[in-house]
Amino acid sequence: MCVLSGRALFRWPLEWRELIMQCWFLLSVTILPTIMAAIPLTVLLTFTLNLLLAEFGAADISGAGAALGAVTQLGPLTTVLVVAGTGSTAICADLGARTIREEIDALEVMGIDPIQRLVVPRVLAATVVASLLNSLVIIVGLVGGFAFSVFLQHVDGGSFLSTLTLVTGLPEVVIATAKAVSFGLIAGLVGCYRGLTVSGGAKGVGTAVNETVVLCVLALFAVNVILTTIGVRFGTGH
Amino acid sequence: MANVAVVRARFPRAVARFGRFAGFPGRVLDGFGRMVWFTLMSVGAIPLTLRRYRAETVRLIASIGMGTGALAVVGGTAVIVAFVTLSGASLVAIQGFASLGNIGVGVFTGFFAALVNVRIAASVVTGIALAATVGAGATAELGAMRISEEIDALEVMGVNSIAFLASTRVVAAIVVILPLYGLAMVMAFLSPQLVTTVIYQQSSGTYDHYFRTFLRPEDVFWSFAEAAVIATIVMITHCYYGYTAAGGPVGVGLAVGRSMRFSLTLVVIVAMVASLALYGVDPNFNLTV
Repeated sequence: MCVLSGRALFRWPLEWRELIMQCWFLLSVTILPTIMAAIPLTVLLTFTLNLLLAEFGAADISGAGAALGAVTQLGPLTTVLVVAGTGSTAICADLGARTIREEIDALEVMGIDPIQRLVVPRVLAATVVASLLNSLVIIVGLVGGFAFSVFLQHVDGGSFLSTLTLVTGLPEVVIATAKAVSFGLIAGLVGCYRGLTVSGGAKGVGTAVNETVVLCVLALFAVNVILTTIGVRFGTGH
Repeated sequence: MANVAVVRARFPRAVARFGRFAGFPGRVLDGFGRMVWFTLMSVGAIPLTLRRYRAETVRLIASIGMGTGALAVVGGTAVIVAFVTLSGASLVAIQGFASLGNIGVGVFTGFFAALVNVRIAASVVTGIALAATVGAGATAELGAMRISEEIDALEVMGVNSIAFLASTRVVAAIVVILPLYGLAMVMAFLSPQLVTTVIYQQSSGTYDHYFRTFLRPEDVFWSFAEAAVIATIVMITHCYYGYTAAGGPVGVGLAVGRSMRFSLTLVVIVAMVASLALYGVDPNFNLTV
């Protein structure tokens, strides 16, 4: 499946219309959960880090902590959860429904390659949407961290802003984007694969979506650990 | 009255669009009310469940703990929760070691692991793993039952379907989460230690000293309580979406996706509220004793 879609990726013509439709669909499904999950996580992270830094007597570098947390962990992690829990389930439910209704077989009979027509646009769309969501979460994280630290935990606003870039630089942002892109790719592939191999009616579709979530969460956590290790190795401050 | 009929007949599309947008808050409120009603019904029926459907509850405890179908092949819920908390906790250690090292306090990695894993990471990560495995599985199962009209058949036979299907699952989730979360805790303790002392070569005495000093039994207790609350809420959410699935096989798939979306948000909100309530007034740790 991976090989087939990898090969189809470079075969023209790309289905632009389907790609844009899928991007729109995925964004409309994921944007609300992303924001709703990002805000509490931001508060949680900022709150704990500020307690910790205040205890060290270093509350004035809470900006550094918030930026590091938001860019390196919060952004990719929330993207993982939302892309795995929301994006790939939507893809899987959609393709699974088509498989059950034998639309995929009909496409093949008509001589249309479902991989090129359906899978490639979805995988690309998941990748694009994941990278966009990542930046959304980072922005929510930074703004939320600022609001929570400055207005509720009485950190000085100026020192928050000035320490924002202390340990977070371009490498962190690049790694975070790379993480998000690879998560989107994996989630899209898993969702499409389980969606196309559905069998057994209503129960089958439900089980397929369930397995998609589990596989995605497992794969994405594993990939996150590896990419974080790489990111820490080449990050700012080393 | 006649004017309304004329306007409706003259501009059908505009009226329909108005109804769609103006009725939106009402529909949201309606859906919320149904969810609350379902929650009350399923929690209220727990005594009845424990009295009458004990065999079904025991069966569900076994199937949730071990996992069914394709999940059992990769080792069931326990292995998945263990793996996910393992990754999550080692993430904390990797990032914590590097970041604390940047400000010159790399020796505090043990303290960081004890604090963050117990208070935040383990419960959130376990909650999400539980939602993905057990919760989504319950939605798929109940949704398939609803679509094939098995739930209606239960009602016709005089079985209280919410008590038989939802309450049993909630009880089973609460029973299963305790040993499962114990396993997750062990993973969350072991993996940062391995990462820090074996991979990053910090001396194990330093790590153990800071880890043990700042690992507080109360924190662990509250963490367990938080996990139990998360499991209950996740299970009720997923049962609700499965119980109210509609629209054929497609509807089941959509219901699983929708329930995942909702429970993701709920898990982090519960974690945030718990953390603010428990540690907001008094952070409960002193580095400079």
